[in-house]
Amino acid sequence: MEFILFVIYLSIYVGLVATTFYILSFLSDRKKTKEFLSDDELPFVSIIIPAYNEENSIAKTIEDILKSNYPSERFEILVVDDGSKDKTFEIAKKYESEKIKVFHKENGGKGSALNLGIKKAKGEIILTLDADTFASPESMKNMIRYFKNEKVVSVTPAMVLDKPKTILQRVQQIEYLMGLFLRKAFASLDAIYIAPGAFSAYRKSFFEKYGGYEEGNITEDLELALRIQSKGYITENCPDAPVYTVAPSKFKPLMIQRRRWYYGLIKNTWNYRHILGRKYGDLGVFVLPIAGISILLSVFVTVYFFFKTLFNVYSEILFLRSVNFYFGNVLNFNFYVVERFLFLFFSNPIIIFVLIFMIVMFFYLHYASKKVGRSSGLVINILLFFFLFALLFGFWWVVSIFYAIFYKKIRWR
Amino acid sequence: MERKIQSKKRYLWSFIIGTAIFIIVFLVSYSISYLEFQRVSNLQGNIAYDIFEHKLDYSFFNLGTCNNESFKKVSEDLGFQGSIINDLEGKLGKENKVVLEKKKFYTLIELEHFEFVNMLNKDCGTKVNTILFFYSNDKDDVVKSEDTGRLLDVLYSKNTDNLVIYSFDVNLESDLIKNLMEKYHVETSPTLVVNGNTRLFNPKNINEVENLLK
Repeated sequence: MEFILFVIYLSIYVGLVATTFYILSFLSDRKKTKEFLSDDELPFVSIIIPAYNEENSIAKTIEDILKSNYPSERFEILVVDDGSKDKTFEIAKKYESEKIKVFHKENGGKGSALNLGIKKAKGEIILTLDADTFASPESMKNMIRYFKNEKVVSVTPAMVLDKPKTILQRVQQIEYLMGLFLRKAFASLDAIYIAPGAFSAYRKSFFEKYGGYEEGNITEDLELALRIQSKGYITENCPDAPVYTVAPSKFKPLMIQRRRWYYGLIKNTWNYRHILGRKYGDLGVFVLPIAGISILLSVFVTVYFFFKTLFNVYSEILFLRSVNFYFGNVLNFNFYVVERFLFLFFSNPIIIFVLIFMIVMFFYLHYASKKVGRSSGLVINILLFFFLFALLFGFWWVVSIFYAIFYKKIRWR
Repeated sequence: MERKIQSKKRYLWSFIIGTAIFIIVFLVSYSISYLEFQRVSNLQGNIAYDIFEHKLDYSFFNLGTCNNESFKKVSEDLGFQGSIINDLEGKLGKENKVVLEKKKFYTLIELEHFEFVNMLNKDCGTKVNTILFFYSNDKDDVVKSEDTGRLLDVLYSKNTDNLVIYSFDVNLESDLIKNLMEKYHVETSPTLVVNGNTRLFNPKNINEVENLLK
């Protein structure tokens, strides 16, 4: 067997076992009875909005969170302007009241802005909110209810994209929607190791005991999620808390974002490598190792197919030249061609595996649709995802690994 | 605070289910290949019978084969079977014993058909072109052979009514092919013998072959 074929089948096998494991975990979680805070027990929440050059969205973000059905007397909003060069501070200042406080500081990165907010916060719970993100009115309340369990230190929402328009946004939409299922499956294993900084809730006591955000860390939210895991606490997931964020619409900003995320993932996972192993339960034994193996295998396969496709295109051009660019045989369509195509199609195990993974994907998306509602244009977006995501994913990872190996410095923006 | 693995049983079940799906998919795809192989076997018998029948009709009973539409059908089926054998090679491997056996029988049918076409050309005045394509699956020649095969596919699509292409694997353990190579002085692959008299080695452009057709 060719080496590449061996790698492909190995990737598929790992994918099948992992997918089965996550589906079984997800199903078993549904049988668990969980305790939730009642309306009377809801604690005081400090919503921190770190903002840097967000003059276009800061007003809407503040107004949207004010529409929350969380008891009005039990939350405050802290806007921390991180040295914006535009009118973010002035716009936020207009909303200042007893409930909404606005702070200004020298630019020092998102982590430092959040830390200032935590220092000023009165709440038992800290809710971080990015200035380009908005939540459904019920999201905050649904999330905070999970803090009934004393071991729960953090709660993540159902993060989805707001009205995807470009092809790249549509691809990301499917990625985010599929993430809803996986996040729930990880939560069922107490193995969430990534919390979206755009909208997550934390117990303030954790920050008081173990320190705030790591300033200067390019993925400070990821570091915090890993720190929570390493201290043995739980990060929960609330799928009934839809939160909408804006995804990069063009290739370059998306590349920069992913490079930051993945580079941050490599760096932070390396720093917290001690959580690999039995001591950290399913996270250390399965979830993290499988994530690492899957990334390496998929990068290898994607890079291989990328270069193979380039080579094939070159060969195809040479061949077409040898037949004087005659395309008449393409139109030579008959019953035999269909029959042979079906035979070739269904006698290829890889095609059958792809079909199985497609079914799983539809199952994931069905779950997401139930939680956040059905999005328009989903079918087209699924097709775009199928054709483009693997290539993009491989490319992002190759660049990020390159940066990690050669210690290239990456900044937040 | 140490964490516990939630359920060891779940790991076992995941391993069992994942492995079972993996194996079942291979069994399904292999079964489809096997069904296809059986279909080829049946088809080979039918084509062989058709060719022998038409040849005998003509040579033994002197029936009017010249206007017989069945020639077209027989040629079409021959090409289809060649394609399926090609696919089976890809699925089951070029060294697979059963595939090699099928290829041997296919070689026999091809030669019967070749002789039949020569008879038609000679006695009925038809102008059907024939190309004997000698290819190899050896490492050194396989790419060249596959390129030539694709080139011939295009050539055939342009001349479906008056062209028949017969492919022969020079590495096949067959005395028939060896004799054929000797007869047409073929020593390397890929080599084409056009209309039984012109040899062409590894053509680079379709024009080189097209110019030799009637």
